[in-house]
Amino acid sequence: MMFLKSVINPFNGVLEKFNNLNAFYIREQYYSYGHFARCISMVRDALQSRVNGNQNIGLVVNDDIETYASVFAIWLEGMAYVPLHPHQPVERSEEIIDQAEIRLVLDSRGDLKFTGAEIIETVNLTYKSLNLVPKIVPDDSLAYILFTSGSTGKPKGVMITRGNLGAFMDSFLKTGIQIDENDRCLQCFDLTFDVSVQSFLVPLTKGACVYTIPHDQIKYSYVYGLLEDHQLTFGAMAPSMIRYLRPYFDEIRVPAMRYNIVTAEASPLDLLMEWSECIPNAEIYDFYGPTEATIYCTYHKFSREGANKQLNGMLSIGKPMDGLKAIVVDDDGKVQGANQKGELCISGEQLTPGYWKNPEKNRDSFFEKKTDGSLIRFYRTGDSCFFDEDGDIMLAGRLDYQVKIQGYRIELGEIEYHAREFLKGQNAIAVPVDNHLGNTEIALFVEGALAVEAELVNYLQGKMPYYMMPSRILVEPVFDLNTSGKVDRIKLKSKLA
Amino acid sequence: MDKTEILEKLTPIFRAIFGNNSLVLSDGLTANDVDNWDSLTHMLLITEIENSFTIKFKLKDLNKMRNVGDMVETIISKLQA
Repeated sequence: MMFLKSVINPFNGVLEKFNNLNAFYIREQYYSYGHFARCISMVRDALQSRVNGNQNIGLVVNDDIETYASVFAIWLEGMAYVPLHPHQPVERSEEIIDQAEIRLVLDSRGDLKFTGAEIIETVNLTYKSLNLVPKIVPDDSLAYILFTSGSTGKPKGVMITRGNLGAFMDSFLKTGIQIDENDRCLQCFDLTFDVSVQSFLVPLTKGACVYTIPHDQIKYSYVYGLLEDHQLTFGAMAPSMIRYLRPYFDEIRVPAMRYNIVTAEASPLDLLMEWSECIPNAEIYDFYGPTEATIYCTYHKFSREGANKQLNGMLSIGKPMDGLKAIVVDDDGKVQGANQKGELCISGEQLTPGYWKNPEKNRDSFFEKKTDGSLIRFYRTGDSCFFDEDGDIMLAGRLDYQVKIQGYRIELGEIEYHAREFLKGQNAIAVPVDNHLGNTEIALFVEGALAVEAELVNYLQGKMPYYMMPSRILVEPVFDLNTSGKVDRIKLKSKLA
Repeated sequence: MDKTEILEKLTPIFRAIFGNNSLVLSDGLTANDVDNWDSLTHMLLITEIENSFTIKFKLKDLNKMRNVGDMVETIISKLQA
Protein backbone atom coordinates (compact mmCIF):
# COMPACT_ATOMS: atom_id res chain seq x y z
CA MET A 1 0.00 0.00 0.00
CA MET A 2 2.74 2.34 -1.02
CA PHE A 3 0.42 4.93 -2.58
CA LEU A 4 -1.60 5.16 0.60
CA LYS A 5 1.49 5.40 2.77
CA SER A 6 3.47 7.87 0.66
CA VAL A 7 0.80 9.95 -1.08
CA ILE A 8 -2.73 9.79 0.34
CA ASN A 9 -2.00 9.51 4.07
CA PRO A 10 0.55 12.37 4.17
CA PHE A 11 -1.78 14.51 2.04
CA ASN A 12 -4.84 13.82 4.20
CA GLY A 13 -2.67 14.53 7.26
CA VAL A 14 -1.79 17.94 5.84
CA LEU A 15 -5.46 18.76 5.12
CA GLU A 16 -6.24 18.12 8.75
CA LYS A 17 -3.20 19.71 10.38
CA PHE A 18 -2.73 22.79 8.19
CA ASN A 19 -6.35 23.66 7.52
CA ASN A 20 -5.65 27.41 7.67
CA LEU A 21 -2.41 27.48 5.70
CA ASN A 22 -2.34 28.24 1.99
CA ALA A 23 -2.28 25.31 -0.39
CA PHE A 24 -2.30 27.30 -3.65
CA TYR A 25 -1.67 30.70 -5.14
CA ILE A 26 -3.44 30.81 -8.51
CA ARG A 27 -4.07 33.99 -10.52
CA GLU A 28 -3.24 36.32 -7.63
CA GLN A 29 -5.51 34.44 -5.25
CA TYR A 30 -4.68 32.23 -2.25
CA TYR A 31 -6.62 29.06 -1.44
CA SER A 32 -6.27 27.43 1.98
CA TYR A 33 -5.97 23.70 2.60
CA GLY A 34 -9.41 23.91 4.22
CA HIS A 35 -10.86 25.35 1.01
CA PHE A 36 -9.00 22.76 -1.05
CA ALA A 37 -10.41 19.92 1.08
CA ARG A 38 -13.97 21.19 0.52
CA CYS A 39 -13.29 21.58 -3.17
CA ILE A 40 -12.00 18.00 -3.45
CA SER A 41 -15.05 16.72 -1.57
CA MET A 42 -17.46 18.47 -3.95
CA VAL A 43 -15.73 17.08 -7.03
CA ARG A 44 -15.66 13.62 -5.47
CA ASP A 45 -19.40 13.78 -4.67
CA ALA A 46 -20.06 14.63 -8.30
CA LEU A 47 -17.75 11.87 -9.48
CA GLN A 48 -19.37 9.26 -7.22
CA SER A 49 -22.81 10.13 -8.54
CA ARG A 50 -21.76 9.27 -12.11
CA VAL A 51 -19.15 6.53 -12.17
CA ASN A 52 -19.62 2.89 -11.66
CA GLY A 53 -16.70 0.54 -11.59
CA ASN A 54 -13.08 1.42 -12.13
CA GLN A 55 -12.40 3.64 -15.10
CA ASN A 56 -10.00 6.23 -16.47
CA ILE A 57 -11.25 9.76 -16.00
CA GLY A 58 -10.42 12.49 -18.49
CA LEU A 59 -9.32 15.77 -16.91
CA VAL A 60 -9.23 19.04 -18.83
CA VAL A 61 -6.19 20.65 -17.27
CA ASN A 62 -7.06 24.28 -16.67
CA ASP A 63 -5.11 26.43 -14.27
CA ASP A 64 -7.52 26.57 -11.35
CA ILE A 65 -8.24 25.08 -7.94
CA GLU A 66 -10.98 22.79 -9.32
CA THR A 67 -8.55 21.08 -11.68
CA TYR A 68 -6.08 20.29 -8.88
CA ALA A 69 -8.98 19.21 -6.64
CA SER A 70 -10.10 16.85 -9.40
CA VAL A 71 -6.75 15.04 -9.38
CA PHE A 72 -7.17 14.21 -5.69
CA ALA A 73 -10.89 13.42 -5.99
CA ILE A 74 -10.02 10.91 -8.72
CA TRP A 75 -7.21 9.39 -6.63
CA LEU A 76 -9.34 9.16 -3.47
CA GLU A 77 -11.95 7.39 -5.56
CA GLY A 78 -9.31 4.84 -6.58
CA MET A 79 -9.17 5.86 -10.21
CA ALA A 80 -6.68 7.32 -12.70
CA TYR A 81 -6.70 10.70 -14.44
CA VAL A 82 -5.81 11.28 -18.06
CA PRO A 83 -4.91 14.93 -18.68
CA LEU A 84 -6.37 16.66 -21.74
CA HIS A 85 -4.85 20.03 -22.53
CA PRO A 86 -7.48 22.72 -23.27
CA HIS A 87 -5.24 24.24 -25.96
CA GLN A 88 -4.48 21.06 -27.84
CA PRO A 89 -6.60 20.26 -30.90
CA VAL A 90 -9.96 18.68 -29.95
CA GLU A 91 -9.16 15.92 -32.42
CA ARG A 92 -6.10 14.94 -30.39
CA SER A 93 -8.09 14.94 -27.13
CA GLU A 94 -10.73 12.76 -28.76
CA GLU A 95 -8.05 10.36 -29.97
CA ILE A 96 -6.87 10.07 -26.35
CA ILE A 97 -10.43 9.70 -25.03
CA ASP A 98 -11.01 6.93 -27.52
CA GLN A 99 -7.75 5.10 -26.83
CA ALA A 100 -8.00 5.29 -23.03
CA GLU A 101 -11.70 4.33 -23.13
CA ILE A 102 -12.68 7.43 -21.22
CA ARG A 103 -16.42 7.84 -20.64
CA LEU A 104 -16.29 10.72 -18.19
CA VAL A 105 -14.37 14.01 -18.38
CA LEU A 106 -13.98 16.55 -15.58
CA ASP A 107 -13.74 20.14 -16.80
CA SER A 108 -13.75 23.31 -14.68
CA ARG A 109 -14.70 25.52 -17.62
CA GLY A 110 -17.22 23.38 -19.42
CA ASP A 111 -16.62 25.04 -22.79
CA LEU A 112 -15.27 21.95 -24.56
CA LYS A 113 -17.33 19.18 -26.11
CA PHE A 114 -16.04 15.70 -26.83
CA THR A 115 -17.85 13.00 -28.71
CA GLY A 116 -18.08 9.77 -26.76
CA ALA A 117 -17.60 11.17 -23.25
CA GLU A 118 -19.86 12.80 -20.71
CA ILE A 119 -18.57 16.01 -19.12
CA ILE A 120 -18.91 16.95 -15.46
CA GLU A 121 -18.46 20.65 -14.88
CA THR A 122 -16.51 21.02 -11.66
CA VAL A 123 -17.41 24.62 -10.83
CA ASN A 124 -20.58 25.75 -9.08
CA LEU A 125 -20.94 22.46 -7.21
CA THR A 126 -22.62 22.44 -3.82
CA TYR A 127 -20.65 21.60 -0.70
CA LYS A 128 -22.25 19.01 1.58
CA SER A 129 -19.57 17.55 3.83
CA LEU A 130 -15.97 16.39 3.72
CA ASN A 131 -15.52 13.33 1.53
CA LEU A 132 -11.86 12.44 1.92
CA VAL A 133 -11.76 8.82 3.07
CA PRO A 134 -9.77 6.96 0.42
CA LYS A 135 -11.16 3.96 -1.36
CA ILE A 136 -8.67 1.13 -0.87
CA VAL A 137 -7.43 -0.18 -4.20
CA PRO A 138 -4.27 -2.18 -4.97
CA ASP A 139 -1.01 -0.47 -5.86
CA ASP A 140 -1.04 -1.91 -9.35
CA SER A 141 -4.11 0.15 -10.30
CA LEU A 142 -3.35 3.28 -12.26
CA ALA A 143 -2.74 6.81 -10.92
CA TYR A 144 -2.48 8.53 -14.31
CA ILE A 145 -1.90 7.91 -17.99
CA LEU A 146 0.16 10.47 -19.88
CA PHE A 147 -0.06 10.49 -23.64
CA THR A 148 3.12 11.41 -25.45
CA SER A 149 4.06 11.86 -29.06
CA GLY A 150 4.14 8.64 -31.10
CA SER A 151 5.89 8.13 -34.45
CA THR A 152 2.82 6.46 -36.02
CA GLY A 153 0.94 9.75 -35.81
CA LYS A 154 -1.04 8.55 -32.80
CA PRO A 155 -0.15 9.55 -29.25
CA LYS A 156 0.89 6.68 -26.97
CA GLY A 157 -0.17 6.39 -23.34
CA VAL A 158 2.31 5.77 -20.51
CA MET A 159 0.52 4.07 -17.61
CA ILE A 160 1.76 5.07 -14.16
CA THR A 161 0.45 2.99 -11.28
CA ARG A 162 -0.24 4.10 -7.73
CA GLY A 163 2.71 1.93 -6.66
CA ASN A 164 4.97 3.71 -9.19
CA LEU A 165 4.03 7.11 -7.80
CA GLY A 166 4.36 5.98 -4.18
CA ALA A 167 7.85 4.64 -4.97
CA PHE A 168 8.76 7.96 -6.61
CA MET A 169 7.70 9.95 -3.55
CA ASP A 170 9.71 7.65 -1.27
CA SER A 171 12.90 7.92 -3.27
CA PHE A 172 12.52 11.64 -4.02
CA LEU A 173 12.34 12.45 -0.33
CA LYS A 174 15.60 10.56 0.20
CA THR A 175 17.55 12.86 -2.14
CA GLY A 176 18.13 15.47 0.51
CA ILE A 177 15.41 17.92 -0.52
CA GLN A 178 13.35 18.68 2.55
CA ILE A 179 10.18 20.69 2.21
CA ASP A 180 7.94 21.80 5.05
CA GLU A 181 4.81 23.90 5.61
CA ASN A 182 6.80 27.15 5.38
CA ASP A 183 7.89 26.58 1.79
CA ARG A 184 6.60 28.43 -1.27
CA CYS A 185 6.87 26.20 -4.31
CA LEU A 186 6.76 26.83 -8.04
CA GLN A 187 4.59 24.68 -10.33
CA CYS A 188 5.37 25.91 -13.84
CA PHE A 189 4.68 22.74 -15.86
CA ASP A 190 1.60 21.80 -17.85
CA LEU A 191 -0.35 19.02 -16.16
CA THR A 192 0.09 16.97 -19.34
CA PHE A 193 3.78 16.74 -18.44
CA ASP A 194 4.86 14.63 -15.47
CA VAL A 195 7.20 17.09 -13.72
CA SER A 196 3.94 18.87 -12.82
CA VAL A 197 3.10 15.93 -10.53
CA GLN A 198 6.33 16.41 -8.56
CA SER A 199 5.74 20.16 -8.55
CA PHE A 200 2.33 20.00 -6.86
CA LEU A 201 2.49 16.68 -5.00
CA VAL A 202 5.69 17.19 -2.99
CA PRO A 203 4.50 20.56 -1.55
CA LEU A 204 0.96 19.32 -0.90
CA THR A 205 2.16 16.32 1.12
CA LYS A 206 4.19 18.70 3.31
CA GLY A 207 1.74 21.55 3.82
CA ALA A 208 3.62 24.01 1.58
CA CYS A 209 2.01 26.47 -0.88
CA VAL A 210 1.98 25.82 -4.65
CA TYR A 211 2.32 28.81 -7.04
CA THR A 212 1.01 28.20 -10.57
CA ILE A 213 1.24 29.88 -13.99
CA PRO A 214 -1.95 30.92 -15.80
CA HIS A 215 -2.12 29.53 -19.35
CA ASP A 216 -2.61 32.97 -20.87
CA GLN A 217 0.57 34.44 -19.40
CA ILE A 218 4.06 34.46 -20.88
CA LYS A 219 5.69 31.82 -18.72
CA TYR A 220 9.20 33.19 -18.18
CA SER A 221 8.08 36.68 -17.30
CA TYR A 222 5.30 35.42 -14.98
CA VAL A 223 7.70 33.00 -13.27
CA TYR A 224 10.06 35.92 -12.65
CA GLY A 225 7.20 37.86 -11.06
CA LEU A 226 6.43 34.96 -8.70
CA LEU A 227 10.09 34.43 -7.80
CA GLU A 228 10.63 38.11 -7.12
CA ASP A 229 7.35 39.11 -5.45
CA HIS A 230 6.84 35.96 -3.42
CA GLN A 231 10.44 34.89 -2.87
CA LEU A 232 9.73 31.26 -3.70
CA THR A 233 11.81 28.68 -1.85
CA PHE A 234 11.56 25.61 -4.09
CA GLY A 235 10.94 24.99 -7.76
CA ALA A 236 11.66 22.76 -10.72
CA MET A 237 12.39 24.47 -14.04
CA ALA A 238 13.44 23.52 -17.55
CA PRO A 239 16.77 24.94 -18.76
CA SER A 240 14.98 26.36 -21.83
CA MET A 241 12.89 28.57 -19.57
CA ILE A 242 15.92 29.70 -17.60
CA ARG A 243 17.50 30.64 -20.95
CA TYR A 244 14.67 33.10 -21.61
CA LEU A 245 15.57 34.79 -18.34
CA ARG A 246 19.28 34.91 -19.12
CA PRO A 247 19.34 38.44 -20.66
CA TYR A 248 17.87 39.69 -17.37
CA PHE A 249 19.93 37.71 -14.84
CA ASP A 250 21.36 40.93 -13.37
CA GLU A 251 17.82 41.91 -12.30
CA ILE A 252 16.95 38.60 -10.65
CA ARG A 253 17.79 37.91 -7.04
CA VAL A 254 15.94 35.30 -5.03
CA PRO A 255 17.87 34.74 -1.80
CA ALA A 256 14.92 32.82 -0.33
CA MET A 257 15.27 29.99 -2.85
CA ARG A 258 16.45 26.90 -0.95
CA TYR A 259 16.24 24.20 -3.60
CA ASN A 260 16.15 24.54 -7.36
CA ILE A 261 15.69 21.58 -9.69
CA VAL A 262 16.66 21.78 -13.35
CA THR A 263 15.04 19.05 -15.37
CA ALA A 264 13.21 17.99 -18.53
CA GLU A 265 16.26 18.60 -20.75
CA ALA A 266 20.04 18.33 -20.55
CA SER A 267 21.44 21.14 -18.37
CA PRO A 268 24.18 23.36 -19.83
CA LEU A 269 26.82 24.01 -17.21
CA ASP A 270 27.53 27.60 -18.28
CA LEU A 271 23.84 28.49 -17.93
CA LEU A 272 23.70 26.95 -14.44
CA MET A 273 26.85 28.81 -13.37
CA GLU A 274 25.28 32.16 -14.26
CA TRP A 275 21.84 31.22 -12.97
CA SER A 276 23.25 30.15 -9.61
CA GLU A 277 24.16 33.80 -8.92
CA CYS A 278 20.46 34.72 -9.09
CA ILE A 279 19.63 32.17 -6.41
CA PRO A 280 22.67 32.56 -4.16
CA ASN A 281 21.47 30.36 -1.31
CA ALA A 282 19.90 27.52 -3.25
CA GLU A 283 21.07 23.97 -3.60
CA ILE A 284 20.78 23.21 -7.31
CA TYR A 285 20.03 19.71 -8.55
CA ASP A 286 19.79 18.25 -12.01
CA PHE A 287 17.13 15.54 -12.20
CA TYR A 288 16.78 13.22 -15.17
CA GLY A 289 14.03 10.79 -15.98
CA PRO A 290 11.72 9.51 -18.69
CA THR A 291 7.95 9.53 -18.05
CA GLU A 292 8.14 5.72 -18.16
CA ALA A 293 10.16 5.65 -14.93
CA THR A 294 7.83 8.07 -13.09
CA ILE A 295 9.13 11.64 -13.27
CA TYR A 296 12.79 11.35 -12.21
CA CYS A 297 15.21 8.47 -11.84
CA THR A 298 18.72 9.91 -11.58
CA TYR A 299 20.04 13.12 -10.02
CA HIS A 300 23.18 15.13 -9.58
CA LYS A 301 23.92 18.02 -7.27
CA PHE A 302 25.47 21.06 -8.90
CA SER A 303 28.57 22.35 -7.16
CA ARG A 304 29.00 26.14 -6.90
CA GLU A 305 32.73 26.03 -6.23
CA GLY A 306 34.14 22.65 -7.16
CA ALA A 307 34.37 21.11 -10.59
CA ASN A 308 31.19 19.76 -12.11
CA LYS A 309 31.25 16.64 -14.23
CA GLN A 310 30.19 17.38 -17.76
CA LEU A 311 30.06 16.06 -21.29
CA ASN A 312 29.90 18.51 -24.19
CA GLY A 313 29.06 21.26 -21.74
CA MET A 314 26.12 19.35 -20.26
CA LEU A 315 26.06 18.49 -16.56
CA SER A 316 26.25 14.79 -15.64
CA ILE A 317 22.85 13.30 -14.76
CA GLY A 318 24.50 11.64 -11.75
CA LYS A 319 23.41 8.45 -10.06
CA PRO A 320 20.10 6.60 -9.79
CA MET A 321 17.72 7.59 -7.02
CA ASP A 322 17.11 5.13 -4.20
CA GLY A 323 15.32 1.98 -5.37
CA LEU A 324 16.26 2.37 -9.04
CA LYS A 325 18.89 0.55 -11.04
CA ALA A 326 20.56 1.83 -14.19
CA ILE A 327 22.65 -0.09 -16.71
CA VAL A 328 24.17 0.83 -20.05
CA VAL A 329 23.91 -1.82 -22.78
CA ASP A 330 25.25 -2.12 -26.33
CA ASP A 331 23.25 -3.12 -29.41
CA ASP A 332 23.44 -6.78 -28.42
CA GLY A 333 22.20 -6.13 -24.92
CA LYS A 334 25.62 -6.61 -23.35
CA VAL A 335 26.21 -4.54 -20.21
CA GLN A 336 28.92 -1.94 -20.80
CA GLY A 337 31.72 -1.04 -18.42
CA ALA A 338 32.94 2.38 -17.38
CA ASN A 339 33.37 4.93 -20.18
CA GLN A 340 31.73 2.64 -22.73
CA LYS A 341 28.81 4.25 -24.50
CA GLY A 342 25.48 2.50 -24.96
CA GLU A 343 21.77 2.82 -24.27
CA LEU A 344 20.72 3.74 -20.74
CA CYS A 345 18.22 1.23 -19.31
CA ILE A 346 16.32 1.65 -16.06
CA SER A 347 14.62 -0.75 -13.65
CA GLY A 348 12.90 -0.48 -10.31
CA GLU A 349 9.55 0.07 -8.67
CA GLN A 350 9.01 3.35 -10.50
CA LEU A 351 8.94 1.56 -13.84
CA THR A 352 5.64 1.73 -15.74
CA PRO A 353 3.88 -1.57 -16.41
CA GLY A 354 3.93 -0.40 -20.06
CA TYR A 355 2.12 1.57 -22.73
CA TRP A 356 -1.64 1.49 -22.68
CA LYS A 357 -2.86 -1.31 -25.00
CA ASN A 358 0.26 -1.24 -27.15
CA PRO A 359 1.85 -4.74 -27.08
CA GLU A 360 4.14 -3.95 -30.00
CA LYS A 361 5.67 -0.89 -28.39
CA ASN A 362 5.90 -2.77 -25.08
CA ARG A 363 7.91 -5.56 -26.74
CA ASP A 364 10.33 -2.98 -28.17
CA SER A 365 10.78 -0.86 -25.08
CA PHE A 366 11.10 -3.35 -22.22
CA PHE A 367 13.24 -6.43 -21.70
CA GLU A 368 14.19 -8.81 -18.92
CA LYS A 369 17.76 -9.43 -17.96
CA LYS A 370 19.44 -11.54 -15.34
CA THR A 371 21.16 -9.04 -13.07
CA ASP A 372 22.77 -9.84 -9.71
CA GLY A 373 21.22 -13.29 -9.76
CA SER A 374 17.61 -12.37 -10.49
CA LEU A 375 15.56 -11.62 -13.55
CA ILE A 376 14.89 -7.87 -13.70
CA ARG A 377 12.67 -5.90 -16.09
CA PHE A 378 14.32 -2.90 -17.76
CA TYR A 379 13.09 0.05 -19.83
CA ARG A 380 15.12 1.27 -22.78
CA THR A 381 15.33 5.05 -22.44
CA GLY A 382 16.60 5.71 -25.97
CA ASP A 383 19.28 7.92 -24.43
CA SER A 384 22.90 7.35 -25.32
CA CYS A 385 24.96 7.37 -22.10
CA PHE A 386 27.98 6.04 -20.27
CA PHE A 387 29.07 5.61 -16.68
CA ASP A 388 32.30 7.27 -15.58
CA GLU A 389 34.72 5.62 -13.11
CA ASP A 390 32.72 6.92 -10.13
CA GLY A 391 29.42 5.57 -11.45
CA ASP A 392 28.09 8.96 -12.54
CA ILE A 393 26.08 8.87 -15.75
CA MET A 394 26.98 11.10 -18.69
CA LEU A 395 24.27 11.88 -21.21
CA ALA A 396 25.51 11.93 -24.81
CA GLY A 397 22.26 12.45 -26.71
CA ARG A 398 19.34 10.56 -28.25
CA LEU A 399 19.62 7.30 -30.14
CA ASP A 400 16.52 7.89 -32.21
CA TYR A 401 14.55 10.65 -33.84
CA GLN A 402 13.20 12.13 -30.67
CA VAL A 403 13.78 15.68 -29.57
CA LYS A 404 12.78 17.64 -26.53
CA ILE A 405 11.00 20.91 -26.86
CA GLN A 406 10.01 22.83 -23.75
CA GLY A 407 10.53 19.54 -21.93
CA TYR A 408 8.11 17.64 -24.14
CA ARG A 409 9.49 14.57 -25.84
CA ILE A 410 8.58 14.74 -29.47
CA GLU A 411 8.88 12.10 -32.17
CA LEU A 412 9.99 13.85 -35.33
CA GLY A 413 8.20 11.00 -37.08
CA GLU A 414 4.84 12.22 -35.80
CA ILE A 415 5.33 15.69 -37.28
CA GLU A 416 6.50 14.13 -40.56
CA TYR A 417 3.56 11.74 -40.56
CA HIS A 418 1.00 14.56 -40.35
CA ALA A 419 2.85 16.69 -42.91
CA ARG A 420 3.00 13.80 -45.40
CA GLU A 421 -0.69 13.07 -44.86
CA PHE A 422 -1.47 16.64 -45.90
CA LEU A 423 1.04 16.61 -48.76
CA LYS A 424 -0.47 13.38 -50.12
CA GLY A 425 2.76 11.46 -50.61
CA GLN A 426 5.26 14.27 -50.98
CA ASN A 427 8.13 13.75 -48.58
CA ALA A 428 8.60 15.91 -45.49
CA ILE A 429 11.42 15.81 -42.95
CA ALA A 430 11.43 17.51 -39.55
CA VAL A 431 14.80 18.72 -38.35
CA PRO A 432 15.55 20.02 -34.85
CA VAL A 433 17.53 23.23 -34.82
CA ASP A 434 18.81 25.41 -32.00
CA ASN A 435 17.66 29.02 -32.11
CA HIS A 436 19.86 31.92 -31.03
CA LEU A 437 18.93 31.34 -27.38
CA GLY A 438 20.08 27.75 -27.65
CA ASN A 439 16.52 26.39 -27.37
CA THR A 440 15.39 23.71 -29.79
CA GLU A 441 12.90 24.48 -32.55
CA ILE A 442 11.62 22.39 -35.45
CA ALA A 443 12.24 23.22 -39.09
CA LEU A 444 10.12 21.28 -41.57
CA PHE A 445 11.54 20.54 -45.02
CA VAL A 446 9.09 19.75 -47.83
CA GLU A 447 10.32 18.01 -50.96
CA GLY A 448 9.11 19.30 -54.32
CA ALA A 449 6.80 22.27 -54.08
CA LEU A 450 4.33 23.70 -51.61
CA ALA A 451 1.45 25.70 -53.00
CA VAL A 452 0.15 27.46 -49.90
CA GLU A 453 2.25 27.23 -46.75
CA ALA A 454 -0.58 28.59 -44.59
CA GLU A 455 -2.78 25.62 -45.50
CA LEU A 456 -0.16 23.15 -44.28
CA VAL A 457 0.32 25.18 -41.10
CA ASN A 458 -3.42 25.24 -40.57
CA TYR A 459 -3.68 21.50 -41.06
CA LEU A 460 -0.83 20.78 -38.63
CA GLN A 461 -2.37 23.10 -36.03
CA GLY A 462 -5.48 20.96 -36.15
CA LYS A 463 -3.49 17.79 -35.53
CA MET A 464 -0.72 18.59 -33.06
CA PRO A 465 -0.23 20.56 -29.86
CA TYR A 466 1.49 23.94 -30.16
CA TYR A 467 4.89 22.77 -28.94
CA MET A 468 5.16 20.37 -31.90
CA MET A 469 4.56 23.03 -34.54
CA PRO A 470 7.50 23.76 -36.87
CA SER A 471 8.76 27.32 -36.48
CA ARG A 472 9.68 27.44 -40.15
CA ILE A 473 8.90 25.54 -43.32
CA LEU A 474 11.39 25.25 -46.17
CA VAL A 475 10.95 23.76 -49.61
CA GLU A 476 13.71 21.76 -51.34
CA PRO A 477 13.27 20.55 -54.94
CA VAL A 478 14.86 17.16 -54.12
CA PHE A 479 16.19 15.70 -50.86
CA ASP A 480 19.77 14.40 -50.97
CA LEU A 481 20.28 10.85 -49.82
CA ASN A 482 23.15 9.63 -47.66
CA THR A 483 25.28 6.57 -48.33
CA SER A 484 22.76 4.23 -46.75
CA GLY A 485 20.06 5.48 -49.07
CA LYS A 486 18.16 7.48 -46.44
CA VAL A 487 17.32 11.14 -46.64
CA ASP A 488 20.42 13.00 -45.50
CA ARG A 489 19.11 14.82 -42.47
CA ILE A 490 22.51 16.28 -41.68
CA LYS A 491 22.69 17.88 -45.11
CA LEU A 492 19.19 19.32 -44.66
CA LYS A 493 20.16 20.69 -41.29
CA SER A 494 23.24 22.35 -42.79
CA LYS A 495 20.94 24.40 -45.03
CA LEU A 496 19.60 26.11 -41.92
CA ALA A 497 22.94 27.59 -40.90
CA MET B 1 5.18 60.10 -29.51
CA ASP B 2 1.58 59.61 -28.45
CA LYS B 3 -0.42 56.45 -28.00
CA THR B 4 -1.85 56.41 -31.53
CA GLU B 5 1.57 56.83 -33.09
CA ILE B 6 2.97 54.06 -30.95
CA LEU B 7 0.14 51.71 -31.93
CA GLU B 8 0.76 52.57 -35.58
CA LYS B 9 4.40 51.68 -35.21
CA LEU B 10 3.62 48.50 -33.26
CA THR B 11 1.04 47.10 -35.66
CA PRO B 12 3.42 46.01 -38.46
CA ILE B 13 5.79 44.51 -35.86
CA PHE B 14 2.99 42.41 -34.37
CA ARG B 15 1.72 41.41 -37.82
CA ALA B 16 5.18 40.25 -38.91
CA ILE B 17 5.98 38.32 -35.72
CA PHE B 18 2.65 36.51 -35.53
CA GLY B 19 2.29 36.13 -39.30
CA ASN B 20 -1.17 37.68 -39.27
CA ASN B 21 -1.82 40.61 -41.58
CA SER B 22 -5.26 41.38 -40.25
CA LEU B 23 -4.19 41.67 -36.61
CA VAL B 24 -5.64 44.82 -35.05
CA LEU B 25 -4.12 46.06 -31.81
CA SER B 26 -6.25 47.24 -28.93
CA ASP B 27 -5.50 47.99 -25.28
CA GLY B 28 -7.17 44.85 -24.03
CA LEU B 29 -5.39 42.46 -26.39
CA THR B 30 -3.50 39.68 -24.52
CA ALA B 31 -1.33 36.70 -25.43
CA ASN B 32 -4.43 34.56 -25.11
CA ASP B 33 -6.15 36.34 -28.02
CA VAL B 34 -3.36 35.85 -30.55
CA ASP B 35 -2.31 32.53 -32.10
CA ASN B 36 1.33 31.58 -31.42
CA TRP B 37 1.89 34.27 -28.80
CA ASP B 38 4.13 32.19 -26.54
CA SER B 39 7.48 32.60 -24.78
CA LEU B 40 9.43 32.34 -28.03
CA THR B 41 7.43 34.82 -30.10
CA HIS B 42 7.13 37.10 -27.08
CA MET B 43 10.90 37.28 -26.86
CA LEU B 44 11.16 38.01 -30.59
CA LEU B 45 8.46 40.66 -30.24
CA ILE B 46 10.24 42.35 -27.34
CA THR B 47 13.54 42.41 -29.24
CA GLU B 48 11.86 43.93 -32.32
CA ILE B 49 10.14 46.60 -30.24
CA GLU B 50 13.37 47.43 -28.39
CA ASN B 51 15.23 47.86 -31.67
CA SER B 52 12.50 49.80 -33.36
CA PHE B 53 11.95 52.30 -30.51
CA THR B 54 15.61 52.19 -29.35
CA ILE B 55 14.59 51.39 -25.80
CA LYS B 56 15.49 48.56 -23.42
CA PHE B 57 12.93 46.79 -21.25
CA LYS B 58 13.68 45.45 -17.84
CA LEU B 59 12.32 42.08 -16.82
CA LYS B 60 10.22 43.97 -14.27
CA ASP B 61 8.63 45.93 -17.13
CA LEU B 62 7.82 42.74 -19.02
CA ASN B 63 6.29 41.19 -15.95
CA LYS B 64 3.91 44.11 -15.47
CA MET B 65 2.69 44.02 -19.09
CA ARG B 66 -0.53 42.07 -19.06
CA ASN B 67 -1.90 43.41 -22.36
CA VAL B 68 -1.10 45.72 -25.28
CA GLY B 69 -2.36 48.75 -23.33
CA ASP B 70 0.22 48.08 -20.59
CA MET B 71 2.85 47.66 -23.27
CA VAL B 72 2.08 51.05 -24.83
CA GLU B 73 2.19 52.73 -21.40
CA THR B 74 5.58 51.17 -20.72
CA ILE B 75 6.93 52.29 -24.09
CA ILE B 76 5.73 55.85 -23.42
CA SER B 77 7.45 55.93 -20.04
CA LYS B 78 10.67 54.48 -21.54
CA LEU B 79 10.65 57.11 -24.30
CA GLN B 80 10.23 59.89 -21.75
CA ALA B 81 13.01 58.59 -19.51
